[in-house]
Amino acid sequence: MAHGIGVVLGAVAVITGWLVFRTDSMVRASFWLLASFVSVGGILVLLNARFLGFSVMLMMAGEMAVMAIFMVMLMMNPAGLNPMTMVHQHTVAKVSGVVAFLALAVVGVLVDFPDQPATQTSAEVTEQLGVEELGDSMLVFQTAGATLLATMIGSIAITSRRGRYGNAEEGSAPPSLVPLDADAPEETS
Amino acid sequence: MIGVIWAAVGLTVGVIGFVAVDAAVGAGVARAPIGPAVQQPWRRGALQFLQQRTTTERPDAQAWAVAPALLLGLAAVMVSVVPIAPETVLAPLSHGIVLFGAAAALVLIAVFLQGWAPNSPFPMIGGYRMFAQALSAMIPFALVLISTALPAESLGVDAIVADQEGLWNVVRQPLGLPIYLAAAVGVLFYGPLATPAGADLAGGVELEASGVQLLLWRIAHRGVVVGACAVGASVFLGGWHGPLLPGVAWVAIKTLALLAVLSTTRHLLPRVRTERYVVLAWVGLLPLALLDVFLTGWWLL
Repeated sequence: MAHGIGVVLGAVAVITGWLVFRTDSMVRASFWLLASFVSVGGILVLLNARFLGFSVMLMMAGEMAVMAIFMVMLMMNPAGLNPMTMVHQHTVAKVSGVVAFLALAVVGVLVDFPDQPATQTSAEVTEQLGVEELGDSMLVFQTAGATLLATMIGSIAITSRRGRYGNAEEGSAPPSLVPLDADAPEETS
Repeated sequence: MIGVIWAAVGLTVGVIGFVAVDAAVGAGVARAPIGPAVQQPWRRGALQFLQQRTTTERPDAQAWAVAPALLLGLAAVMVSVVPIAPETVLAPLSHGIVLFGAAAALVLIAVFLQGWAPNSPFPMIGGYRMFAQALSAMIPFALVLISTALPAESLGVDAIVADQEGLWNVVRQPLGLPIYLAAAVGVLFYGPLATPAGADLAGGVELEASGVQLLLWRIAHRGVVVGACAVGASVFLGGWHGPLLPGVAWVAIKTLALLAVLSTTRHLLPRVRTERYVVLAWVGLLPLALLDVFLTGWWLL
């Protein structure tokens, strides 16, 4: 049962990942990528790393939304509604894609994966993953995480429209439709 | 399979109860007779059910079909982590509260899809409003949930409820429930934060929706509000703890009480502009939620 669900989730992750590049809209590409990440999160849940799996879904929902907003903001494409191609630099993309696929395939074929059902509890799996990935550096990364959070709050406090000296737009005037030089003689006359 | 049926039953009962409570509160606020007010949502629902579906020029038909289904599925996920008695929960997960957080985060994707799919400007603006307010409210929303997990030393909702034996989290963490509700209205675009579907956008994300799609969307919207209030009643108001009545009755009573509070804000408070709420969320709710986490940690030490 779990094996079958895992195969389905893997297929969904690959197909939706492929659709990211086949679609013609930045917003749709973001949401296909989100579907791919949620499938990967489901696979993590099946591997009994529930906290990581649910966290992937939780974080990616917000991150893909932020990514869609930024892409729409930075591209000359009103509200992301105009169709546009999602691929560029074809040669580089093909070469790096083939190399990455071969490298992952070699790892997949040559590595001797353990073939046993996940007997540990979800908390143990999460702990082992943490030790495996970070080891003694855990405290450093925790400190860095708290520092990043403080930085984030600080930068938001600084860039908030409502600053220490009142609202940011107060005291500034919207740009005039007439050039400033054209205004000047009229006032003097 | 039986679990899916129970989630559907719980969600249906919750949405029907919510619609009744909302109509009663609305009638109470307006000093109107309660009978017609309670019938009104059913009449409107029947009308939408029979209404012909209209469409727009070149919509994203797949996204439009997926949006209400996704929202309804998220509502079912939210309801499924709520325990109704000791050891009785549909999804007995050791990380239920994280799954609930993931479902709440995905609500904004459903709303944005609903706004983006019709290829129409006002729903689109509604979708972007939802992005702004939900992303801002999400962090305080998650932080107050995490601080309820601290004393229970578990991220499972059943463990958090069991830990509130004798003293509920609403007393132990007085900041928790108010922040939770203030963030939930933003994450779920309800009440004063219903501006993504606001009348100033001629209906926003609901503008181009019609017929069964609109009916399903509105049912799903009420469903996620019910789910969030059921989880709020579990992690802040002690869930199934209570004298005399069985646990499921207490869960229902507490959930309806929170729904009545949110419904009152919908009928009494004016709609809040998105940029004002974003400032409130980052400058007000987020530091208060962090304070809640620190106070909970200090109390535990």
